[in-house]
Amino acid sequence: MVTEEEITHVSKLMKIDVDDHAEYIDKVQAMINYFDILDSAGVESEEISMQEIPISNLREDEYVPFDEKLIEKLNNYKGTYVRAPKMS
Amino acid sequence: MNLKISALEYVQEVQNGNISAEDFVSKTLEHIQTVDDKLHAFLSVNEKAIEQARLIDKKIKSGDKVGACFGMPISIKDNLCIKDNLTTCASKMLEHFVAPYDATVITKLKQQDAIFVGKANLDEFAMGLSTEFSAFGPSKNPWNTEYVPGGSSGGSAVSVSAFECVASLGSDTGGSVRNPASFCSVVGYKPTYGLISRYGLISYANSIEQIGPLTRTVKDSAFMLNLISGLDTNDNTTIDNKNEDYLSGIDSGIEGKKIGIITEMIGDGVDPSVLSATKDAISKLESLGATCEEISIDMIKYSVASYYTITATEAGSNLARYDNLRYGYEFPVEGYEFNSYISKARQKFGPEVTRRMIIGGFVPSAGHAGKYFLKAMKVKSKLTKEINEAFKKFDLLIAPTVPILPFKIGEKINDPVSLFLIDINTVTANLTGKPAVSIPYAISNGLPIGIQLFANSNQDKLLLQAAYALEQTVKLPEVPI
Repeated sequence: MVTEEEITHVSKLMKIDVDDHAEYIDKVQAMINYFDILDSAGVESEEISMQEIPISNLREDEYVPFDEKLIEKLNNYKGTYVRAPKMS
Repeated sequence: MNLKISALEYVQEVQNGNISAEDFVSKTLEHIQTVDDKLHAFLSVNEKAIEQARLIDKKIKSGDKVGACFGMPISIKDNLCIKDNLTTCASKMLEHFVAPYDATVITKLKQQDAIFVGKANLDEFAMGLSTEFSAFGPSKNPWNTEYVPGGSSGGSAVSVSAFECVASLGSDTGGSVRNPASFCSVVGYKPTYGLISRYGLISYANSIEQIGPLTRTVKDSAFMLNLISGLDTNDNTTIDNKNEDYLSGIDSGIEGKKIGIITEMIGDGVDPSVLSATKDAISKLESLGATCEEISIDMIKYSVASYYTITATEAGSNLARYDNLRYGYEFPVEGYEFNSYISKARQKFGPEVTRRMIIGGFVPSAGHAGKYFLKAMKVKSKLTKEINEAFKKFDLLIAPTVPILPFKIGEKINDPVSLFLIDINTVTANLTGKPAVSIPYAISNGLPIGIQLFANSNQDKLLLQAAYALEQTVKLPEVPI
């Protein structure tokens, strides 16, 4: 069972305000509680399979010019900088 | 002008000079004007479509080389980037976002002279299966507008079903192409993982999502696949399909093929009319020379929990980029402290996206990862093994696409767990990377039922042949719009 405090704590870390209790705490709790079914899958000894991509399959790490000034598409920018609120 | 023709018929008609791209596209736009107030398949319509069609007609007349689409009107799910077009993901967060580049599938379709008539509605950030989570209101099922069209590519399915375009592209993370295809009685194709580049698809859960076509016929899906599949240096998960032609030999039939009926997908909770349609489809396949027998895949019971754990985790990470600093909506930064600004800006996300982000933070976090995320990954591994084992014995697997009929708008929106379970028959293909297709099969009480076929990885051609064979056995009534 997941507690309300655990959900509120994670939400804060995710930068999410959970002002609407019914929408964000009760429903999230119900959703996570459903995941308890995973406990009966009996997969403890199972290996997690990974998809491996050899480095040779990756594209060259090189500069690809873009035909427009991307910075001008930003909402908040000054010169060549992204504008962000002050850190406290 | 008959707007009800298939994509291949459209190409034929234009090639033969029976219709012009301009006429067809302008009639399509008129039709959208007439019906879309009611159906809400589109979030935006391309004002330049007629002009673009005219240019293609000009190319045809002057004998220039013309792309395989010949100006065919296509709708595009609004989580795919088209340069200089709004790409909203049906979210208030991206309401005014104009994409600075084309997705690879868009580049490919532009090269083939397709025309994008509009951006199709979806559940916000593709999270949902009814379009009810779209921040701009749900789409309606053309078979009965009180019912959901399925989702998340609901707008795409509605637009194809209601003749507002000839074909559409959607994305399928847990059934988002196949589910609305089933609910709206069109063909929905989820390819092998890696067959189609996702460059320019706004990320939700990268490890399992795929772009796929929604079309009126199986042949049209094969045609679309020919145009958009293949390697892409911008998506290193893409696989080399050696320019496979999915249309050639599509009528090869399925004689001698072995088909497994997935027991867990026809058990408890399946609507009786869906079950009887599935049994009917199985007997049709047998009459075409296939042998069918049941197979149990134990991990399917846990697939939905595994799916939501993994996708929420990836979504939590992918959606962290929406801090409203580099892009987003108009909301000045002055007077705010860094973290409080971001938390406030992120309130623009709708409730389902917000819930999944919270879950996505929770299930992989310290102290909880062992119980949730790692177990979900282990279920995914074991499910893949079981499915691979099944494909040693069978060429194809079969199940209903969705265990239930389309439901009424608003009926299930407050019960997230019951919404989860509707995905039970579709998530397996995503978790295992296998191709799967939904084929329109029956109409029950005026509502569509789709049948789903699966094949092993890279057996897309075989899958389309089987889907075509099944499709040929069906004659369905016309959509009542």
